[in-house]
Amino acid sequence: MKRLILAAALLAGFSFVAGAMANEKGEYLARAGDCVACHSVPGGRAFAGGLKMASPVGTLYTTNITPDPETGIGSYTLEDFDRSIRRGIARDGHRLYPAMPYPSYAKLTGSDIADLYDYFMHDVPAVRQANRANEIPPFLSPRWPLAVWNVVYTPSPGFTPDPSKDAQWNRGAYLVEGLGHCGACHSPRGTAWQEKSLDARDSSFLAGANLDDWYAPSLRANQATGLGSWSQGEIAEFLKTGHNRHAVAYGSMGDVINNSTPYLTDSDLAAIAAFLASLPATEAETAWVEDTSTAQALLSGKTDTAGAALYVSACQTCHRANGAAAPPYVPPLAGNPTVLDKDPASLINIVLNGSWPLVAKGRPDAYRMPQFREQLKDRQIAEVVSFIRGAWGNKAGAVSPQEVAALRKSTQPSSDNIVVLKMR
Amino acid sequence: MHYTIEINGAQQSVDIDGETPLLWVLRDVVDLKGTKFGCGAAQCGACTVHMDGHPIRACQTPIASVGNGRITTIEAVGESRLGKLVQEAWIELDVPQCGYCQAGQIMSATALLTRTPNPTDHDINEAMNGNLCRCATYTRIRAAIKHAAEAGRA
Ligand code: FES
Ligand code: FES
Repeated sequence: MKRLILAAALLAGFSFVAGAMANEKGEYLARAGDCVACHSVPGGRAFAGGLKMASPVGTLYTTNITPDPETGIGSYTLEDFDRSIRRGIARDGHRLYPAMPYPSYAKLTGSDIADLYDYFMHDVPAVRQANRANEIPPFLSPRWPLAVWNVVYTPSPGFTPDPSKDAQWNRGAYLVEGLGHCGACHSPRGTAWQEKSLDARDSSFLAGANLDDWYAPSLRANQATGLGSWSQGEIAEFLKTGHNRHAVAYGSMGDVINNSTPYLTDSDLAAIAAFLASLPATEAETAWVEDTSTAQALLSGKTDTAGAALYVSACQTCHRANGAAAPPYVPPLAGNPTVLDKDPASLINIVLNGSWPLVAKGRPDAYRMPQFREQLKDRQIAEVVSFIRGAWGNKAGAVSPQEVAALRKSTQPSSDNIVVLKMR
Repeated sequence: MHYTIEINGAQQSVDIDGETPLLWVLRDVVDLKGTKFGCGAAQCGACTVHMDGHPIRACQTPIASVGNGRITTIEAVGESRLGKLVQEAWIELDVPQCGYCQAGQIMSATALLTRTPNPTDHDINEAMNGNLCRCATYTRIRAAIKHAAEAGRA
């Protein structure tokens, strides 16, 4: 299901239409904000909404943001548009749920809002498609608490550059904290489901978080589990192509690659990289160092654990005996931050459910991770994942069959209760 | 979508969905049936072909991702010196049993010898790990690779 939604969101991405006098700046900004990823459905028209999202209060459906006057935002004035994006208040005054990342979008400048408005009003084709009602139990449906939530958790509009930093860093901060809304997945959330921090001043910003059965890794300079061992060029390469020598994008990051970051200019990607690289580590870690004894043992046929034996039969072909695989196409498992993370959710999820297409600017990748849901039992997945987390110099803890069972259940593709998407 | 890709030295034009695996294009569109479908899930190696000399799994390679990559299949591998030596070694040692996996085995073995002319047992284990053989011809495959390597040195 997730797979379907993602695949279609990317198809929808291709139907961005540029009119003769298209507002290129606005389109660029809409790309940077990846609006289409949430405001479209499989096979649907771009920006017509309808995507199902799970939230702590119930099921939400994203809305039509095409310029259709009745079902979309065609009757919005610039002020209405601004209020909804930067403050989370719809034209009729109702409060939006913060599945819409307006606490991040609050950072947008007025002129970018105006360009976006122009783009949505004039270049996006109007689609007549009524919004679907949210499914929220009556006792949770009043929206006034959101007003309180907003006062507490939504910053006042606009971006204040940090004068102690250069222009490139500030541009990166603006893109990451604002339109990119990277924190929606990568920053931990508090008890009111708010992102604990919305900018670089706080050390929890982009420190990694578990969402939608995935663990979105830390983007801080942690040596093993963050971006501490990545050069700025490698960070930019990852955003441009979906992979680099350390890792390949997966989960919701696939949407980002398919619709958003590869369309950014090299200088914006360099700014994002410079900004991310400046975020100090939050864990005292040592960088990964290769231990060649694992590969030696595997190649000599010394597979003394069940996990090692499974690795040889199911994984080694692509990921190789030394765990180095064939980057950029097949990600290494040796030293990969996602493998080393304390929270193994993403690793287990990928083994269970495989990966889906990355389509950087129209060209799909080859070699997707196949799913092992049917082939391997919980115990076997726990064994092989534990092996991978301890092989080649990786130093991450073992995984239990119970953890695998829980994820198998919550990501069951045929279940109605599947958490489609929480917030992004 | 329309794609033009190079297969065995010839340009082939196909009009097909970009997500279609190369294996389907080879077998069903350009009618090169030497490459076999085993599992369709990157698990068996029967579909191994070369892209720019590297062994790849055709069942995991969407046609749209091929781009300018030069594809070589079992039908043309014998046109290279090493490919020919491998095929001769295969015949000499009577490697195949049922034969189903063997096109993939030969493609992987040729790619290995191109990279590593004198492979050790470890090199062979590493390179051939992904090519399963239900008939368990593994010992003959290993011997034939060494045989071809020796012939290559001569
Ligand atoms: S058919 Fe491609 S690996 Fe089995
Ligand atoms: S010869 Fe029969 S499968 Fe290998």
